[in-house]
Amino acid sequence: MEYFYFEDYLPLFMFAALGGLLFSGYPVAFVLGGVGLTFGFVGMYFEVFDFIQFFNLAPRIWGGIAENLVLTAIPMFIFMGTMLERSGVASDLLHCLQVLLRRVPGGLAMAVTLMGTIMAATTGIIGASVVMMTLLALPVMLNRDYNIPLATGTIAASGTLGILIPPSIMLVIMADLLGRSVGNLFVAAVFPGFILAGLYVLFILVLCGFRPRLAPPLPDDVGPGSNLELLVLVLRSFLPPLFLVFLVLGSILFGWATPTEAAGVGAAGAILLAFLNRKLSFKVMRDVVERSALTGGMLFGIFLGATCFSYVFRSLGGDDIVIGTVEAMGLGSWGLLFVLMGLVFFLGFFFDWIEITLIVLPVFSPIIELLDFGTHVDKFELVYWFAILLAVNLQTSFLTPPFGFALFYMKGVAPPQVRIQQIYKGIIPFVMLQLLGLGLVMTFPDIALWLPRVLLN
Amino acid sequence: METLTRISDRFDKWIVLIGRIAAWSGVLLIAVTIFDVVTRRFLVLGSTKLQELEWHFHVVLFVFCIGYAYLKDAHVRIDLVRERLSERTQWWIELLGCLLFLIPYCALVIYFSYDFTVRSFATQEISASATGLTHRWIIKSAIPIGFTLLALSGLVVVFRKLVELFGPPELREKVHEVEEAEVEHLDKAALKNFGDEQGGPR
Repeated sequence: MEYFYFEDYLPLFMFAALGGLLFSGYPVAFVLGGVGLTFGFVGMYFEVFDFIQFFNLAPRIWGGIAENLVLTAIPMFIFMGTMLERSGVASDLLHCLQVLLRRVPGGLAMAVTLMGTIMAATTGIIGASVVMMTLLALPVMLNRDYNIPLATGTIAASGTLGILIPPSIMLVIMADLLGRSVGNLFVAAVFPGFILAGLYVLFILVLCGFRPRLAPPLPDDVGPGSNLELLVLVLRSFLPPLFLVFLVLGSILFGWATPTEAAGVGAAGAILLAFLNRKLSFKVMRDVVERSALTGGMLFGIFLGATCFSYVFRSLGGDDIVIGTVEAMGLGSWGLLFVLMGLVFFLGFFFDWIEITLIVLPVFSPIIELLDFGTHVDKFELVYWFAILLAVNLQTSFLTPPFGFALFYMKGVAPPQVRIQQIYKGIIPFVMLQLLGLGLVMTFPDIALWLPRVLLN
Repeated sequence: METLTRISDRFDKWIVLIGRIAAWSGVLLIAVTIFDVVTRRFLVLGSTKLQELEWHFHVVLFVFCIGYAYLKDAHVRIDLVRERLSERTQWWIELLGCLLFLIPYCALVIYFSYDFTVRSFATQEISASATGLTHRWIIKSAIPIGFTLLALSGLVVVFRKLVELFGPPELREKVHEVEEAEVEHLDKAALKNFGDEQGGPR
């Protein structure tokens, strides 16, 4: 006869409580901390947790978050992105790309995709990059009588590339949580990121080739008249940010610098670019400093809260429950992978990557250890592959109606004539492309794993 | 009620000021990193010291800015349900959240991280590596201090919500305006900046 012990199921209640309370709209960071604390006390009542165990929080915060040179890259990447946003680089870049691509079918949409890919290096906060791209590109596209769903779909998809294409803050955090090298993960994300961008470009090219009315070209008188002026435009607006991105990425790819050092170089480079663009003033500097600090405070607030939550969760035996449940399902590695991906995809409807990564990854990391794909993926490389799949998956989930995060942000700043239905309609083909990309990386792990193998081993 | 408003405004000012000053340690962090990268090529300075200095700045940056970010309402919320609730319900949620979650959570972390810092001071803890920085307790004390600031910002919100829920109408208005003025949603901040720059290139 088996007895039901309430305390055995505490971790489940804990997770349910978290899920419910997050929807109260109280800041995620503090809900995490509060739920952790509360269930610590509940655990004390059932005598499965001891007050003194909370002491471990201090060394955990210390060793895991404070004394951690990997995470030190994050504030600098945030700074780099915020500074580049303010430096006018993005709008110059878009202008230049428009001019260069004016004779290509769907040139403007393609310019947006390329800008998204290049600027992807700069931020990782979904809201900020989608808002920036929308404000910058959507009015221009509407002016040119672009098909609205095409325009919004392109912008939303390219604007979220930032969380995937390195240097991405999300990948830094994933690497840290999984205990793997940030550099390796960055390198692994390069091809999948570019493949997605490539799929977008191809789609736009084909679509606009067949139906040019969707994407009217720019008039020929836009941009400089002579080739010399064009060259100057390219040199001035296009090359500096590209150079900066390559400097940051290159120094990581070729092992010249650690990601943290590269982040420092990138941040300093962004200041330099703003200065060269004559956008740097004390006011701008102060704004960027404060906004980056707020973003950092927000992110690390969740980090701290998640530390508290997952510590208590584990102390109450959460790991055993997760593993026990998974083993009871008897799914095998592929089944498990699909379940995990489905779960993360579903969570992406409601949450930003920050919460998903910080809450789900620590809880599920013991499962990743259980996965075994035989010869399909080498055991050592499996974690990198999994992380990349997760990253692509997360990016997709922000684009899926009805709750796609990116779509809401976009609706918030789009001109009033853009209806949410048009945004929904526009994103569908891009979601298909995303799923195609995800399927490719799943079927051919080498897309992610080949480059790190060649470059780093 | 008016005392509550006064106290909360006073605290608010201090927390925001500290946050704004601490924000600049991000620039110091960048400077130290660059210095480390550049000098390592030519000289053999103690890179360990510099790298430890880097995360020292990082700690200062985030730990002093969490409370600041709360007052500026920069923390992520799941808005899906919240948007449909009445303003009054939202205030109640905020009040209860602070009292039941934020402040006890801070108290817990402060209690133990203070202990952690005191132990570090008592043992005169230094870096584990021979060439690292000494006086580890100084930076460790940043955690209890930062969480104290966060708890205080929770208190500010509690006072404001109390006034909004139970205070006289004109005071409510005032508090509400102060709050609205302070909000700095990151996406909306981006919006504002682009507003400033319209008529730039193109």
